[in-house]
Amino acid sequence: MKSLIIAGREFSSRLFVGTGKFASSALMTQAIDASGTQMVTVALRRVDMDDANDTMLEAIDRTKYQLLPNTSGARDAAEAVRLSRLARAASGIEWVKLEVTPDPYYLLPDGEETLKAAKELVQDGFVVLPYINADPILAKKLQDVGCATVMPLASPIGSNQGMKTKASIEIIIEQATVPVVVDAGLGAPSHAAEAMEMGADAVLVNTAIAAANDPVQMARAFKMATEAGRTAYETGLAPKSAAANASSPLTGFLREI
Amino acid sequence: MNAVLKINGTEKTFDDGLPPTLSALLSKLQIDAATVVAEIDGEIIERKNFAQTELKDQMGIELIRFVGGG
Repeated sequence: MKSLIIAGREFSSRLFVGTGKFASSALMTQAIDASGTQMVTVALRRVDMDDANDTMLEAIDRTKYQLLPNTSGARDAAEAVRLSRLARAASGIEWVKLEVTPDPYYLLPDGEETLKAAKELVQDGFVVLPYINADPILAKKLQDVGCATVMPLASPIGSNQGMKTKASIEIIIEQATVPVVVDAGLGAPSHAAEAMEMGADAVLVNTAIAAANDPVQMARAFKMATEAGRTAYETGLAPKSAAANASSPLTGFLREI
Repeated sequence: MNAVLKINGTEKTFDDGLPPTLSALLSKLQIDAATVVAEIDGEIIERKNFAQTELKDQMGIELIRFVGGG
């Protein structure tokens, strides 16, 4: 399996994992370890004054996993830029998963505000990985303003519905010159494998792992599926045909000739 | 003298005077400075400047940290 390069950084794993919704930090660290990932997403929130030292993320070994702060909760470009700068001040990390989701019900990204924030953040020296609807034109615009990847959604965040936007993601993959990371809605390892077989460069999974009965085993299953899909893509699938093509020889049958 | 800070959107009154600096405030709240980032009246304060950042009555302070997220 070829390694993935984003903004000059090399990743041997093509599975990125979100750290939300885990029942405990011990379970989270075991799951990210089992996933084989090298990049995990995190969010920024106000310190809870009633539980001021709940520092779940201290459990993450930053020498093994690159943190990718997200701008979740941002409703417009200004809020996303503010969160990105806070994340940089908190961590020194200049990478950001840019997400602008004004609608709390479907959490669909606002393309116009995302593009606006992306321009500003790229200018400010950030490596920007924008979360977008599966819109090939927007993907191209974001690529043109200097984004390091594009991250089209498979289906709404946390919905586990799989590759509902498949046809549009295929166009994005065909046209993109930056890595395409399929993010959001991948609910089963087969969904991750499907995205990778199509030629996605990576997938990002959170809920499907964190909310599984056994997140550690599910992380392992997503690792295998991501690798299987990618290996199949790099190998090239055998051709499809409408009619049958016998796998066994069509001679030497035990019947009258 | 009573002094008030708006911390994470909630007013907090200090009956025995304000902590003099951001570092002193974090100690008083028992928050490990290494795990937070701060914004005062919309300006980001770098962690290395926490000890030099003086607090004044009525300042709006945001204390933020990383949490799990997707």
